[in-house]
Amino acid sequence: MASQTETMHRGSRTAALRGQSAFRRMLDRNAAGYVFLLPWLLGFFGLTLGPALASLYLSFTNYDLLQSPDWVGAANYVRILTDDPKFGAAMRVTFTYVILSVPLKLAFALAVAMAFNRGIKGLTLYRAIFYLPSLLGSSVAIAVLWRQLFASDGLINMALWQAFGYEGPSWISNPDYALYTLVLLSIWQFGSPMIIFLAGLRQIPKDMYEAAEMDGAGKARQFFRITLPLLTPVIFFNSVIQTIEAFKAFTPAFIISEGTGGPINSTLFYTLYLYQEAFGFFRMGYASALAWILVVIISLFTAFSFLGARYWVHYDD
Amino acid sequence: MTDAPHDLLSPPKVRRSPVKSILLHAVLIVCSFGMLYPILWMISGSFRPQEELFGSSSLIPSALDLGGYVRGWSGLQVTFGRFFWNSLVISVLATIGNVVGCSLAAFAFSRLRFAGRNFWFALMLGTLMLPYHVVLIPQYILFLHLGWVNSPLPLIVPKYLATDAFFIFLMVQFFRGIPKELDEAAVMDGCSPFRIYWKIMLPLSMPVLATAAIFSFIWTWDDFFGPLIYLSDINTYTVQLGLRSFVDSTGSSDWTALFAMSNLSLIPVFLFFLFFQRLLIEGIATTGMKR
Repeated sequence: MASQTETMHRGSRTAALRGQSAFRRMLDRNAAGYVFLLPWLLGFFGLTLGPALASLYLSFTNYDLLQSPDWVGAANYVRILTDDPKFGAAMRVTFTYVILSVPLKLAFALAVAMAFNRGIKGLTLYRAIFYLPSLLGSSVAIAVLWRQLFASDGLINMALWQAFGYEGPSWISNPDYALYTLVLLSIWQFGSPMIIFLAGLRQIPKDMYEAAEMDGAGKARQFFRITLPLLTPVIFFNSVIQTIEAFKAFTPAFIISEGTGGPINSTLFYTLYLYQEAFGFFRMGYASALAWILVVIISLFTAFSFLGARYWVHYDD
Repeated sequence: MTDAPHDLLSPPKVRRSPVKSILLHAVLIVCSFGMLYPILWMISGSFRPQEELFGSSSLIPSALDLGGYVRGWSGLQVTFGRFFWNSLVISVLATIGNVVGCSLAAFAFSRLRFAGRNFWFALMLGTLMLPYHVVLIPQYILFLHLGWVNSPLPLIVPKYLATDAFFIFLMVQFFRGIPKELDEAAVMDGCSPFRIYWKIMLPLSMPVLATAAIFSFIWTWDDFFGPLIYLSDINTYTVQLGLRSFVDSTGSSDWTALFAMSNLSLIPVFLFFLFFQRLLIEGIATTGMKR
């Protein structure tokens, strides 16, 4: 009897101990998790979520950094959407840029990747050379170079003069052409989507092509029936990423137009307009509204891409 | 250049007739040259006598002239040496911050179990899609109140708080590939989570840490928007801002000097490209990085 109570007692004690240590372990484990996550949590609340909510609030105010924000309701949004010619110009410029540069860049990237995928000596070297512009391209130095290439006395006009005796205009200071020089700059940087395509092409099993060849399918048919369908997930990925990047382009337009978005707003990228409003005129509320409209545009584009993807993107499952 | 046998990007070589092979290489060499021509022209342009730059599209300067470098280096009231130093400090500190901050978060997300882990992970993925323009203005106001505007702090400190979710995601993917048995054994031996992070995860994750470090260095070095907003005193300028001021001050009068400084600004990125080319290219191939 005595021994029985003792064992019972001991049993409950060990159970209690075990419970306590399980609780402690759980606490420890949670504590460890949150200790490691602490920097990220601080950043998330202090630099991402907090500011995002603050900018949503600011977008309904007028705020010049000096006086406290002045609530104006949806006035900023109404003015942007109905009575702001510069917003219209920025939208035109940005959409033209996106619609021209993304497909052309991806077409180049895919064409070069296909050529590289056929087994060439020295591929590593060629691949590196074609990738280099993509790595260097976002720097100010390359924007400076571009400004010079397309200046009235720049390399392009020099070559046109020598080859055809044609005296070209100053491409970057002509509102009809300025944007297209930036489209060219973007296409020139097709290196990173090219590498992603190359990795995608390597995933396509060789025996598919062999089987197709046996059945007498020509190269074109193989491309449209095998390569293209099996590559659609990669094409989809590349186009979403590149489109979002193109919406956010800033540096080349800033350097080429010296921050004005000129000539006559022809290179007024959306982000450049936002920058001017925020840090040129200190209209922080208005600029916040512009930022949220950009978010809506990018989200809508992404959502529609994913919705549309099911009709053309091929996933093997 | 030879390909390693297990290169995931290189298809097996195909035997071709010599004529076809030579033709293919001829086309590729011409294309490569065309791709690089603008850059080569900028390099050669920086060594030309000032009056020669225009009127010659050839790559060989008539005489080697370092005048562009001399004029450019001290073309503004502060020398480019200062700008290079500022850029270097910001890029190195930001890179360390990114690697430390993101690897801590990635370790928590991939290896530790705690209440709410999936919730935070989903939020982290959500921030990947958020354009930074929506946080830009309130962040600026915050740093203004902290008195950090016109110092490099706004460009460095956020990196230690793992604000670049992309790198967290990259590391989580890699950490998940490391066998769990390793840290389970370490837990049995009484290792603390920090020791597991420091002694097991980090040493085994060198490839992903190196990739993250190189890309964050290059992106910080090339960054123009951040410095443009936060740095207005010329003594705090980075190389990119210095170049931009130089463009504005010389207009199009001294292209030789402008090209000289542009070339110098590209050297660090180019060195990374030269020495870590495979890591960069594989980083892009496996993660789908934007550039």
